Amino acid sequence: MRSTISFILDGKIVDLDFKNSKQFSPTSTALNYLRSFPAHKGVKEGCAEGDCGACTVVLAELVDNKITFRAVDSCLIFLPMIHGKQLITVENLKTPEGILHPVQQSMVDLYGSQCGFCTPGIIMTMFAFYKNYDKPSREQIDDALTGNLCRCTGYRPIVEAAAKSCVHNCVDHFTNDESKIIKFLKSISKESIHIQTDNQKYFRPASLGEAISLKHQHPEAIIISGATDIALRVTKNHELLKEIIDLSGVEELKVITQTDSSIEIGAGVSLNDILLPIEKDFPALHEMLKIFGSHQIRNLATLGGNLGSASPIGDTLPILMAYNAGVVLESLNGRRVIPLNDYIIGYRKTVRKPDELITSIIIPKLTNGSIIKSYKVSKRKDLDISTLSACFRIDLDGSMVKSIILAYGGMAERTKRAFTAEQFLLGKQWERKIIEKAMTLIEKDFTPISDARGSAEFRLKAAQNLLLKFLIETKGTN
Amino acid sequence: MKTENQIPHDSAVGHVTGEAIYIDDIPVNDQLLIGKVVYSRYAHAKIKSFDLSEAKKVNGVYAVLCYKDIPGHNQMGPVIKDESVLAENEVTFIGQAMFLIAAETEEQCREAEKLIKIEYEPLDAILTIEKAIEKNNLLGPPREMKRGDADSALKSSKHIISGELRTGAQEHWYLETQACLSVPGEGKEINVFSSSQHPSETQALVAEVLGIKKHEVVVEVKRMGGGFGGKETQANHVACWSALLCHATKRPVKIRLFRDDDMIMTGKRHRYLTKYEAGFDDDGLINAVKLEFNSDGGAATDLSFAIMERTMLHADNSYYIPNMSVKALVWKTNLPSNTAFRGFGGPQGMAAIETIIDKIGRALKKDPAEIRHKNFYGLNDRNITHYGQTVEHNRLYLIYDQIIKSSEYEKRRKEINDFNIKNEFFKKGIAVTPVKFGISFTTTFLNQAGALVNVYTDGTILVNHGGTEMGQGLNTKMQQIAAAEFGVSIDRVKVNATNTSKVPNTSATAASSGSDLNGMAVKNAIDIIKERISKELAQIWTQQPSNPPTLQQSILFKEDYIFDSDHPERKISFSDAMLQMNLRQVSLSAAGFYKTPTVGWDKIKGQGKPFFYYSFGMAVSEVMIDILTGQYTLLRTDILQDVGDSINSGIDMGQVEGGFVQGIGWCTTEEIKWDAKGNLMNHSPDTYKIPTVQDIPKDFRVKLMEGVPNPVGTIRRSKAIGEPPFMLALSVWLAIKDAISAVGNHKFEPEFSLPATNETILLSIEKLKGKFHSPTLYESTDSKSRRPNPSKGGESEVSSREGI
Ligand SMILES: Cc1cc2nc3c(=O)[nH]c(=O)nc-3n(C[C@H](O)[C@H](O)[C@H](O)COP(=O)(O)OP(=O)(O)OC[C@H]3O[C@@H](n4cnc5c(N)ncnc54)[C@H](O)[C@@H]3O)c2cc1C
Ligand code: FES
Ligand code: FES
Repeated sequence: MRSTISFILDGKIVDLDFKNSKQFSPTSTALNYLRSFPAHKGVKEGCAEGDCGACTVVLAELVDNKITFRAVDSCLIFLPMIHGKQLITVENLKTPEGILHPVQQSMVDLYGSQCGFCTPGIIMTMFAFYKNYDKPSREQIDDALTGNLCRCTGYRPIVEAAAKSCVHNCVDHFTNDESKIIKFLKSISKESIHIQTDNQKYFRPASLGEAISLKHQHPEAIIISGATDIALRVTKNHELLKEIIDLSGVEELKVITQTDSSIEIGAGVSLNDILLPIEKDFPALHEMLKIFGSHQIRNLATLGGNLGSASPIGDTLPILMAYNAGVVLESLNGRRVIPLNDYIIGYRKTVRKPDELITSIIIPKLTNGSIIKSYKVSKRKDLDISTLSACFRIDLDGSMVKSIILAYGGMAERTKRAFTAEQFLLGKQWERKIIEKAMTLIEKDFTPISDARGSAEFRLKAAQNLLLKFLIETKGTN
Repeated sequence: MKTENQIPHDSAVGHVTGEAIYIDDIPVNDQLLIGKVVYSRYAHAKIKSFDLSEAKKVNGVYAVLCYKDIPGHNQMGPVIKDESVLAENEVTFIGQAMFLIAAETEEQCREAEKLIKIEYEPLDAILTIEKAIEKNNLLGPPREMKRGDADSALKSSKHIISGELRTGAQEHWYLETQACLSVPGEGKEINVFSSSQHPSETQALVAEVLGIKKHEVVVEVKRMGGGFGGKETQANHVACWSALLCHATKRPVKIRLFRDDDMIMTGKRHRYLTKYEAGFDDDGLINAVKLEFNSDGGAATDLSFAIMERTMLHADNSYYIPNMSVKALVWKTNLPSNTAFRGFGGPQGMAAIETIIDKIGRALKKDPAEIRHKNFYGLNDRNITHYGQTVEHNRLYLIYDQIIKSSEYEKRRKEINDFNIKNEFFKKGIAVTPVKFGISFTTTFLNQAGALVNVYTDGTILVNHGGTEMGQGLNTKMQQIAAAEFGVSIDRVKVNATNTSKVPNTSATAASSGSDLNGMAVKNAIDIIKERISKELAQIWTQQPSNPPTLQQSILFKEDYIFDSDHPERKISFSDAMLQMNLRQVSLSAAGFYKTPTVGWDKIKGQGKPFFYYSFGMAVSEVMIDILTGQYTLLRTDILQDVGDSINSGIDMGQVEGGFVQGIGWCTTEEIKWDAKGNLMNHSPDTYKIPTVQDIPKDFRVKLMEGVPNPVGTIRRSKAIGEPPFMLALSVWLAIKDAISAVGNHKFEPEFSLPATNETILLSIEKLKGKFHSPTLYESTDSKSRRPNPSKGGESEVSSREGI
């Protein structure tokens, strides 16, 4: 067990002992840590909540003996989360001889910066992109850059700079350093970390067993997986989080297993890592995850976290509900699988007991003939929280409705099904006249609220229309 | 030698390496304190009592200040003195500064804030324009501009339309929030490092607030992480607060607003409620327009009247309106004082007249493009604005003809109509909108600028000017101008941080005028230095008696050399020459000055020539909306913009695209709401949505016009570019309306407002659907409207008039 964390910064291994640190606590963000050094002022704060990308840095880590590069928002990262990784900042991109990285050079050449405040973050997003994509498509570029707001340029030159620079087979001066970095990364022990300071306890277990017993001993401790929800309590509300169990070091939670009939996704798999495995068999989930947050957010966020927050606007919840997914909960008392329908019982309230962890989510594949679609309605198409969302699933017998699930987010205090409309539709013809009647029944199940994102009237209208949209998409317009 | 048009932004390498320094990055010694502003949580309340004693006791806290601790004036209003630095007996909006804290860390500041006890007595708050109107709560006297007799012209018009338009507020969302670092100097001196568009005003206000003289305050602005108008007056606030804390503690104090605080405390683009009436004939030729603009000024004056003036001066946009009456009222509400934002009132004015045009099109069953073209200012007649300025060098027809052709407008209009007939659940729309934007400050005396150019004996040049760099590339253009005027390579020229001790008494970097004004001032300074050098060299080269004399005017500066063009062998390198000049006691430093000629504007009469010239541009945008969700996709935008002879086309393109995309935000997703208590509901990027990379046109074709030098004598015949493109985004807004209108087969006028959020779109569609069963063909708010001529379709007939 250790109480210090170790990571690579500026080509060296840095050991940070929170006990002896006046400046930093285990819930200090990587952003504030970096900005405390005169040589790392390049990383910028634009929002401190994961929405602007000005704070983007790249984390490099070993996966199957290869280095992977991921762009993340440093404002959402607690320092212990970078243990065992390399933290790469904009200051590291030039070669030792001072030559600009290809992504930097093309941003200069193509007028990709104006005021320049968003630029270091954009450079880091592009750098991670450079390391992962060769000759990318426009769609890939747009997706990568969604998490970086720029108020000056209108983005066109930035997109062009990415297209122009990412053409060298992902090779750059970091490629030369790889063996050294791999050696460094391997030298950092993966054992669990327990940090205790005057007013905080921060556990970063290294195995699931340890995590479960820690949760047993500290039932009040806050769990974090990607911390994209929890970090805001520190950066925006300035709360002192007294006890934390950080699951980001538990490899057992990052596993995906597929069988013929289902997929089981570890609670700690990042959403970006889920995208590929679910693309074929779980299109409704895939569609939603593609536009979930931003690339940076998806590199951190997990299904475990989305289920843990159980927010009424959690985007995966209506989908998991429509798929009849099961939430796997584990504690020292054992393991139980709760169907999503029974999992959420109120506003951010679930049946999970204080000593239980979410360890995985089991999603059954659709049976033959089932059709499922997900929808997100938000003010801005990308990187926005849903005003409302929905996932619908239908099984038809000829043109008759055999079974139907209409799950909605953002329409009530929790993810909820439109039971009245479902009941009405059962056994009926799947056709426009019937749907139009069902649309009027949505009001019976929901009385949505008005808030900063939209009015109750809008929510209701859109919720009704989505039914019609579903019909059209399953049947065509007549 | 790199004096060409295409040099990169002068800070580009600094930007991409993270080495470019912003306020929060300035190295400061360990004496630095962090400042925090404690602000009102009530929109309107009496401050019955407050107690700072506990807060002062917090470990690490050096000062907790209230209004009584202000040594000078408790005032920071830029024009009208109606903004206190710290509230005294009353607070008038949520976000109004009440107390200041300086401590070693942010946590200590927060802890101290929690210990401040305030007793409020809530008062009735005015939170909407409607309520302000009801209570007759004006910020100042109404204004009116008139030409002809709009009332009787309306009466005699064949068709009349009327209505109301709401345009929303907009948050600047500069990536770098408001920030300032104040460092104490000797005695009363203070050095203020500010993220301000108007350092001279910052200097003046800091001096007034501290009760010291202007020559004791130095304000420096290296660069801003975005401004867009939001740091024209409101950066002064943060500067005054940090200066007060610096003065009180005798330590450097930095204030950097947290994003939510910035959004809550600072003003926005003014929201407007506009009432309009317009009269026109069967062809859509406008005969009369009556407008009443009501803006939400917020709790104090700030620049609201200047902004409203620009609205009035752009209520015609590009159209000749023979009878026009424009009334303008600025209302006082219990919200943060609204302020400058790119376009400065222009967008709100144009949104109104473009709505009128659009409605005329629908009423007459004609393509609005045709109505626009018909009403454009004429080249030789119909060319005087409602405020008396002649629209000279009109490029509207030239641009219109080009863009209608290059965008294949007519073909696409047909395709869109076909698409809309075939598709029930997706509708497409298209719109072309023009912009004619007047360039100059309408407060005439502000049209001046200064510069200080130093040449050093190694042949390098340092340019100081009064403008500020906020990303727009002003410094790059100044660098290019200096290099070109001196005939030297770009690397010899550096542009210094803007500093009030180098160039005094400057105007704000605003009104798109930064390059026009400062470029001329820089040139003026260089002309002075060149004159001295030429005179001296002419003497040197003429000294040998056998020589034919060198004429001073024959001396040229080119390619890093200075030579006599009549005797090219008389030649000296620029660097050698500077050393020579120094040895021969010639001054290599000069101050330059410029004021815009030929503008003059009588504010009282509302008549004159407020603008040096006009900038023109047009955009064609096509959108598709999902009529079940109200979500829209911007399929394509074509832009053609007139920038005269561009000084730097890369930078100018950036202004066009960036301004346009910011305009898209205002027109679509950027929605600001306040709750019933006056709390800003969209106070973070979580709920306030500026465009991302995914929101720009899928197909984006921007062109700067070529071979069109500015006919009036601007620096290198360029034209201002900062603001005009913003308003081109109205093409997106009206394309959305066109798509909505397709739901009702263009027979009904859709309800519409700005921003067109998915909610606005969906609810408008739902109302249209409800009208399907109604028997009337075209609904007008006025019964006089004739039934449209059904034989004419929606196609536009575009004449090809010659432009200049
Ligand atoms: C900029 C931004 C954009 C976002 N966009 C979206 C979006 O589009 N759609 C959306 O739905 N959400 C969005 N979110 C919210 C958030 O990203 C998601 O809820 C995400 O799934 C949380 O995952 P996490 O691993 O980061 O959770 P964490 O922050 O680590 O945890 C979230 C909650 O779950 C609990 N928890 C986490 N793991 C476990 C576990 N294994 N067992 C028990 N409890 C656990 C935590 O205690 C906490 O209460 C966004 C957030 C940000 C900052
Ligand atoms: S500071 Fe905006 S995403 Fe981190
Ligand atoms: S360059 Fe200013 S925000 Fe991107």
